Amino acid sequence: MTTTEEHILEVLKGLPVERKRNHRIFLTIPREDLLKTLSILSSELAVQHLSTITARDKGNDLEILYHFLLNGVVITVKTTCPKTDPTIESIVKIFPSAILYEREIHDILGIVPTGHPDLRRLVLPDEWVGGYPLRKDWKQPAEQEAEE
Amino acid sequence: MAHVKLPIGPQHPALKEPENFTITLDGERVVDVDIRIGYTHRGIEKLMETRTYTQNLYLVERICGICSYAHVENFTQNVEEILGLQIPKRAEYIRTLFLELERLHSHFLWLGVAGHEIGFDTLFMYTWQDREVVQDLLEMISGNRVNYAMNAIGGVRRDVSQEHRKKVLEGMDYLEKRAEFYKNIALNEKTILARAQNVGILKPQVALRLAAVGPTARASGISVDIRKDDPYASYLDTPFEVITTDTNDVLGRVVVRVLEIVESIKIIRYLMEHLPEGDILKKAPRKVPEGESISHTEAPRGEDFHYLHSNGTEKPERYKVRTPTLANLPATAEMLKGTYLADVPIIVAAIDPCMGCMDRVLILKNGQEKPGELISGEKLRRYGIKWYAERGWDA
Repeated sequence: MTTTEEHILEVLKGLPVERKRNHRIFLTIPREDLLKTLSILSSELAVQHLSTITARDKGNDLEILYHFLLNGVVITVKTTCPKTDPTIESIVKIFPSAILYEREIHDILGIVPTGHPDLRRLVLPDEWVGGYPLRKDWKQPAEQEAEE
Repeated sequence: MAHVKLPIGPQHPALKEPENFTITLDGERVVDVDIRIGYTHRGIEKLMETRTYTQNLYLVERICGICSYAHVENFTQNVEEILGLQIPKRAEYIRTLFLELERLHSHFLWLGVAGHEIGFDTLFMYTWQDREVVQDLLEMISGNRVNYAMNAIGGVRRDVSQEHRKKVLEGMDYLEKRAEFYKNIALNEKTILARAQNVGILKPQVALRLAAVGPTARASGISVDIRKDDPYASYLDTPFEVITTDTNDVLGRVVVRVLEIVESIKIIRYLMEHLPEGDILKKAPRKVPEGESISHTEAPRGEDFHYLHSNGTEKPERYKVRTPTLANLPATAEMLKGTYLADVPIIVAAIDPCMGCMDRVLILKNGQEKPGELISGEKLRRYGIKWYAERGWDA
């Protein structure tokens, strides 16, 4: 284990942390604690680099993973939000580099980061009305037509 | 004077790929920049969920035409991690060889594009000719100039013979001389200095805050290199230096890349001299148990980040790719603010953008169709004929 990893585990003591392998630390939190936890990463661990945000469809919930990089260690903060209320607090104020990644998960999975300054589309066309393509129940318009 | 809003792209002669910059100008000065992407989004992440891991090997490779190998490397590393598969040492070395050959050809290509953007087309001709040496080596070993199809889950598909080693080392001797020549040009050539020095400034604290990656970050003095920080393939036992400069400008990005060419040549020499004997491929099962894995590599443009969530079947549940260009976009917008309009192309080129990597679903809009409707190839062909006929042109 590197000293960075030891330091991270020390600071995050008491939180649901799991070290899956060398250089990979996972942290699972409820969405209410998101900003609080990320502030700890930012202020106490001096994490600055947000690699990206991944989101995926888990059935009734949407899972959101924030991947941070600190001296080669990937710290992933996991949280979920229900599909009936797909909102999550925007982390742009703490990590400005999240601006594009939050637009992306909003675009393809319909997760609304509340407090985001600019929620235009990122990868999909501006006039897109076809739903959220990365959700499991999404069908291509052609497929849907064929079924009907 | 009132501000002028100037749209550049998605289709523009100065751009190599479709993207859109809305530049707010005060006279010749750039006041604000808005970058719009998504013109080449191909829905690869969604498509991957419908393909098997073997099929995906070849799909991931097509995310990008230049740093294709970095993507395959990430994908195979992710699958192998969940499978708990340790690949043979020799395969690791061959993978590293390809990663570095790819960096070489990508950096040579970039040097040429940068030269072209500042009107120095001689440099473009020189570097692209030298790049052919690398392309020939790649073709010799893998059979392909681009999209090498070298990786399989569990190792590599083709071996490196004694003859190949000899040729690779000869190629490195030639390229080392050329790299020295380019180093001299980058540091002393007046055209380059005039166009690149103090242009496109990115301060280290801004680069850190906006999470810039790769040569863009390293040219702002940030020593970040995944090969060193989180070693993969055979980088742990391969000696090399992380190149940084502290000039924070386009010139720094040129210098970093030229010096990285020199480092890559050293790495390739080491690999060829220390290539271990043994197998190159281990058998892997078709189904991948449930699990998740993160893999990131130092692609020529910076950190390439992949996430895999598997569900116990032959197909992934979710696959996420974040390419270095997307990570560098917020920093690019910062670099452009305050510069002259004429410097915009070289500043954008200096992050070595790869829009193709960055990502549209096959959607075409026209007056008659509902917005967002998918159009079949046949329908599109008929639409094209009608479009030209209406304008009195023969289709």
